Amino acid sequence: MAPTPMPPMPGNDDPVGTWSFLESGVDRIMTNLREGIDMKAYMALYTAIHNFCTAQKIVAGSFSAQHNRGGAHLLGEDLYNHLIEYLRRHLGGVQAKSREHVDEALLTFYIKEWNRYTTAATYNNHLFQYLNRHWVKREMDEGKKNVYDIYTLHLVRWKMDMFDHTHKSVMSSVLKLVEKQRNGETIETSHIKSVVDSFVSLGLDESDSKKTTLDVYKQFFEKPFLESTAAYYKDESTKFIQDNSIVEYMKKAEARLEEEKERISLYLLTEITTPLMRTCETALIADHSILLREEFQNLLNEDRREDLGRMYALLARIPDGLDPLRNRFEAHVRKAGLMAIDKVAVDGENLEPKVYVDALLEVHTQYQDLVNTAFIGESEFVRSLDNACREFVNRNKVCKSGSTKSPELLAKYTDALLKKSSAKLTEEDDMEKMLSQIMTVFKYIEDKDVFQKFYSRMLAKRLVNTTSNSDDAETSMISKLKEACGFEYTNKLQRMFQDMQISKDLNSSFKDWCQANLDEESQKSAVDATYMILGTGFWPLNPSATSFLPPQQIVKTYERFQNFYGNKHQGRKLTWLWQLCKGEIRANYIKAGKIPYTFQVSSYQMAILLLFNDDDSITYEDIEESTKLSKETLDPSLGVFLKAKVLNVQPESSKPGPGTSYSLNHGFKNKKVKVNLNIAIKSEQKQETEDTHKTIEEDRKLLMQSAIVRIMKARKQEKHQALVAETITQIKSRFTPKVSDIKKCIDILLEKEYLERQGGDELAYLA
Amino acid sequence: MATDTQTIRLTTSDNVEMTVERAVAERSILIKNLLEDLGGEQTESIPVPNVAEPVMKKVIEWCEHHKKDPPTTQDDDSDSRKKSTDIDEWDQKFMQVDQEMLFEIILAANYLDIKALLDVGCKTVANMIKGKSPDEIRKTFNIQNDFTPEEEDQIRRENEWAEDR
Repeated sequence: MAPTPMPPMPGNDDPVGTWSFLESGVDRIMTNLREGIDMKAYMALYTAIHNFCTAQKIVAGSFSAQHNRGGAHLLGEDLYNHLIEYLRRHLGGVQAKSREHVDEALLTFYIKEWNRYTTAATYNNHLFQYLNRHWVKREMDEGKKNVYDIYTLHLVRWKMDMFDHTHKSVMSSVLKLVEKQRNGETIETSHIKSVVDSFVSLGLDESDSKKTTLDVYKQFFEKPFLESTAAYYKDESTKFIQDNSIVEYMKKAEARLEEEKERISLYLLTEITTPLMRTCETALIADHSILLREEFQNLLNEDRREDLGRMYALLARIPDGLDPLRNRFEAHVRKAGLMAIDKVAVDGENLEPKVYVDALLEVHTQYQDLVNTAFIGESEFVRSLDNACREFVNRNKVCKSGSTKSPELLAKYTDALLKKSSAKLTEEDDMEKMLSQIMTVFKYIEDKDVFQKFYSRMLAKRLVNTTSNSDDAETSMISKLKEACGFEYTNKLQRMFQDMQISKDLNSSFKDWCQANLDEESQKSAVDATYMILGTGFWPLNPSATSFLPPQQIVKTYERFQNFYGNKHQGRKLTWLWQLCKGEIRANYIKAGKIPYTFQVSSYQMAILLLFNDDDSITYEDIEESTKLSKETLDPSLGVFLKAKVLNVQPESSKPGPGTSYSLNHGFKNKKVKVNLNIAIKSEQKQETEDTHKTIEEDRKLLMQSAIVRIMKARKQEKHQALVAETITQIKSRFTPKVSDIKKCIDILLEKEYLERQGGDELAYLA
Repeated sequence: MATDTQTIRLTTSDNVEMTVERAVAERSILIKNLLEDLGGEQTESIPVPNVAEPVMKKVIEWCEHHKKDPPTTQDDDSDSRKKSTDIDEWDQKFMQVDQEMLFEIILAANYLDIKALLDVGCKTVANMIKGKSPDEIRKTFNIQNDFTPEEEDQIRRENEWAEDR
């Protein structure tokens, strides 16, 4: 396989001879490289170029003005132009041959020729290195356009003499091949990859020939590729959707998108990712988005999470694809919530708080789960869920009368949980979980002030009656509320807790004081008692409505405490809340068992029973006179005694009232030794709920007024409308105020001269 | 791949064959490209028709010394290379040859495409010119003055601004 010997070396300064020598070498490299080129030939070609360029050719008038090149004249232009001429001729031939091929054969031909040509270009670039280093460099340094290093020159010629005439047919072959693959056939992908690479190579940066740009590739490959992709999927999807269900179509689209993504890594440039995906998404998703969305409701109704998730993933890919879904989702959840409440609302007034709260939670849990699984917890869907929940929590059939019913029921449910009676929940975790669920509903409650009111009243009861299940659970709940609504919201609740602690300490120091200061006699006669000192401002408790004369037996005891307290805290006034006091009385008069019965009674009941220490039978009027209790309190208290058969009434089975008289039942019997007679009276409970609602209205007015004053104090001057708007923003976290109510409050403040009207609708603050 | 010890042979213009370590010979971009292009194990001797044995010896000596230098990058036109006439000590000693040899080395470096050697050679010549009057330069390089007195006057006037005063 010895290569044909090279012709003899030409003379140094002979352009014609040198070129014809070079041409035979270049041609051999171009067309017959496989046969090889030996060292002699390689060195001869390089040397010929070197010698030609370094030939001492005296150029006439080298110092004259017209040749002012800084002294040296570099040779090489002749060789460069000859090379261009050669390449043009050579490529003309290649291009003519390419017309004999189509489709895959054309690709094979194109890639084979390209590889051959670029390999040869590398050789030639090295052989012409001397030209590159001197003549080409000088030309380029001088800013001459259209002069390139030898390798780039090869590319430029290919682009002009080959590519410009063949790219259309090459591309159509590529696209046919891709279509075959999309139709499921196996194809040889390496050709396409080579075509892509060759197109990229042809993108030359005009300003710097060493860099490449993607211009050629973008224009001649990417553009037609995207166009054919769009057409293909438009056609396919339209046909598929006619014959198949939407669910099936979504699977197909998902698979297609995945397939295109893989195609990129197989033989495309990663730069195509974004436009290719966008093209596919438009054809596969956006163009059918209306049909897809119509299916959404069906999928929701059937709770098909996997398909919902698929739909979400598809529509999330296109701009504004999800908004309509969110709206539908919100409406759907709202409807589901309202329906769930309608179901439990049939219980009317007797609706158990637990049943109600559970109904709310069930809907929330179900759709939160859906959001997390199908919609990957996307924040906008979470917001739609929140909107829907807020809607059905505050406005449903149970809340017909007003949105205050929800917080009331929630507070009552919380109370039931935290009370000792429901002691089934021993597990700490369960309690925490339940409290968190309460907070979930609480978050949606608009009238948070109503919840606060009910909660603080019930907390007060739990603390005073020591019916709280656990301190830990109580503090945990308060800290949750604090986290949700801030320090101010829970301030009073925390103070109530503190009062309980202070009272405990006070009791023990009182005991010490008694031991130190009382003689034995007084200590013996003293009634064993504990006291709670509750700050008036923090506890939602009012003095009793009834008058009451405490029994003589305990007066001494509590007066002693009063003295002790008065000495300790000068100037503080103690008001006794008799309706909350309770005591135990030992019934020594009943001789039935060895151990006497102990009655747990309210202070009122205690006063009544103690009367029987002096008389066996007492008239209603005498009791009324001795205790000073009002009829509304006295009658039910007596009623409890009668029902429990502690007292007998004369005449028999009459209701408590004037003209009746009472005696002790000496034959009283009970299974337990301790008998609880301190039973809450039903009518009182109802009354309390109503009272609570009433105070809410009052408190709201104050809250609005204080907000208005705060704003005006800060701003000094403000337009009426802006003030109303600002007030709403400040108060929104507690409840949603009505504009008319705010206006009324402003009027009140004007009257009280906190504010004054100025010109227009401007208001000013009066210090 | 024991490329370190791989050797190649070169044949000079006066038909002397020399064996050189491949890494040393590849300081010449020409040789490097040739070996890469033709590939494989080269058994044949590489003809170097433009360089004679004594010069080649000098060039190889230089390449031996500098074989561990980092390869010069294509765009190494940094200011330090262009402006500085500093030459390291070994290179200065290496260039202490007669003028004819000096020029032969420069030509060979240009032909063989050994940029660093070409630079050293040119800097050496530049240092020979530095600080000399035209007459001294003529003397140094044995150049005949082919200017007429009129021409000389004109040049002097045109370049007056550059005179060192």
